[in-house]
Order: sequence, then C-alpha cells, then structure tokens
Amino acid sequence: MRIETCYFCSSRIYPGHGIQFVRNDCKIFKFCRSKCHAAFKKKKNPRKVKWTKAYRKTVGKELAIDPAFEFEKRRHIPIKYNRETWAKAVEAMKKVEKIKQKRQGAYILQRLRKGREIEQERDIKEVQRDISLIRSPAAGLKQRKQEEAMAEDAKSSDEEMEGIVEDGGEVTL
Amino acid sequence: MVYKRKKYHYGDTHLKKKWRTKRRTKDLDEIDEDLKPENCQKLLNQPVDFDKPGSGQHYCIHCARHFISDSALQDHFRTKVHKRRLKALEIEPYTVEDSERAAGLGSWKAPVKRKIETQGKSSESDPESSNKRMRIDEDDGEL
Repeated sequence: MRIETCYFCSSRIYPGHGIQFVRNDCKIFKFCRSKCHAAFKKKKNPRKVKWTKAYRKTVGKELAIDPAFEFEKRRHIPIKYNRETWAKAVEAMKKVEKIKQKRQGAYILQRLRKGREIEQERDIKEVQRDISLIRSPAAGLKQRKQEEAMAEDAKSSDEEMEGIVEDGGEVTL
Repeated sequence: MVYKRKKYHYGDTHLKKKWRTKRRTKDLDEIDEDLKPENCQKLLNQPVDFDKPGSGQHYCIHCARHFISDSALQDHFRTKVHKRRLKALEIEPYTVEDSERAAGLGSWKAPVKRKIETQGKSSESDPESSNKRMRIDEDDGEL
C-alpha cells in the first residue's frame, strides 16, 4: 500500500481511489479523480492549469526550491529493514514536516508582504491625487488672501521704514 | 442485415471520438523522446512499409505523422498545425517525474526552453536524398 501522487494535480491518491492509465510505452499515469483524468485526455498542460500544484510552483506562488524537499524522494535503492532506522526515520519525518510547513508559510507571507507595500503606495498616490475630494482647494481662501494682504502691507511699510532709516542716518539703540 | 450502431449511450458523441484511446496520438513527451538524435535517425530512415501512408518514407517527427509524398510533407511544414506543434515543443514537456516534484518529492525544476527547427533544415542532405532514391527504386519496380 502506498500513497501515490496524481499526474495532473500532484495531490495524494489513497488506496482504492482514482484511476490509472498505462500508455503503450509502459508509462503509468495515475489520476486522483475523473476531473484530472478528463483534463489529461484533453491533453491539457498541468503547468498552465491554475488549480494544479505544478502551476503554483512554476509561477512562484509556493515554495518550489528548498533543501527540505530533498528528504522525501523516490530513490530506487532497496534498504534492508532495521527497526532502529525505521524508528529514527519516523521521528525525522515529523521534524522535517514541521520545518517544511514553517518555511512554506514564511514564503507565502513574504510574498504577500510585497503586495501590501504596493497597496500602500497606491493608496498614498490616490489620496494625493484626489485630495480635493476630502478638502476643498477653496477652503481657507479668504483667510489666506487676508494674510497675503497683511504681508504685503507689512512689506510696504518695511520698505518705507528702510527709506526713513536711510534718510535719517542715526539710529539710537 | 443492418445492425444498430455500437455505442448509443447519449454521451457518446462524435465530439468525444477524438479523445478515445483508440485514436490516441503520440504525446508531447513521447515526441520529445523521438527528437533525440539516435531515435530521430531511425524514424527518418524507416524501412518500406506498404501499410503506412507513403510506405512510411515521408515522416514528420514533430507531428508524428506520415505523408504520402515529399511534396505533401513540404506543404505540411508550411502549415499552421506544424508551426503550432514546434512552438508547443519549445518548452520541455511535462512528465510523471515533474508531477512528483510538484508534490514535494524533491525540489522543483523549472522547464527549459529550447530551440526547435523543422527536420529538413538541420539534416537536409542525408534523409532526403535517400528518400528520393527509394522512390525511384519503387518506380522501377512497378514499371
């Protein structure tokens, strides 16, 4: 008994489930359900169908290259049964699974973080562009005009004062 | 006596005929295997087989099809079907091993893009001349 992987979506196939197709060159294709089998019959490319693992890995949605993936593999090397190694392997499997899940989760979070940054930038831009919707450009126009007028008055008076100073010549402190 | 047609389930339409295993054509990964030089030579220089179209002398490797004559083969090279097939073969085909890698058995390997040309362009001299000789021989035999 073995948990196989689906040719199309790479999901697990438990005993008693799915169907397999043996091509006339002896290659065996296993499918988890009729959906995957039908897609294969239609010659769909799993790398281009969005709901497959192959798509998610080619596009970079999921962690694809990592040393944590190197543990579980089809090695084609027979190993003599040994209770000790078996016990150790079971322990190791648990640890590896934990590490793998942690890394995969971190990868996805990292990926999403970039999206949030872009979102923020876009929001700031939008606010800057449409600031007139929040605060009318005419708000405080009167006040500003008054202030300008005051400033001008002050300037002109300053100039007059300077003129007086130049004329007078003597300044007492 | 006229018999009823064989498949009269409502789902059995002419639309599904194309996808039956009976009419199954070579998959892209099989063709990829054929493109290896040793297999390629074998397929291009097939022995005369009267059961195949054109006695199996005019074969397009990329489309896995026999043609009845050299001119038909050359015409085929200019068609959209052939060009589409070349384009499809550019990216390494998906295999069972790839599906296992996607499931997490080993690291994922990104498919490699290659350049693929019609068979005549790369190995023009040898197969064509031999084909021609073969045809002349046949003609002589018939006469």
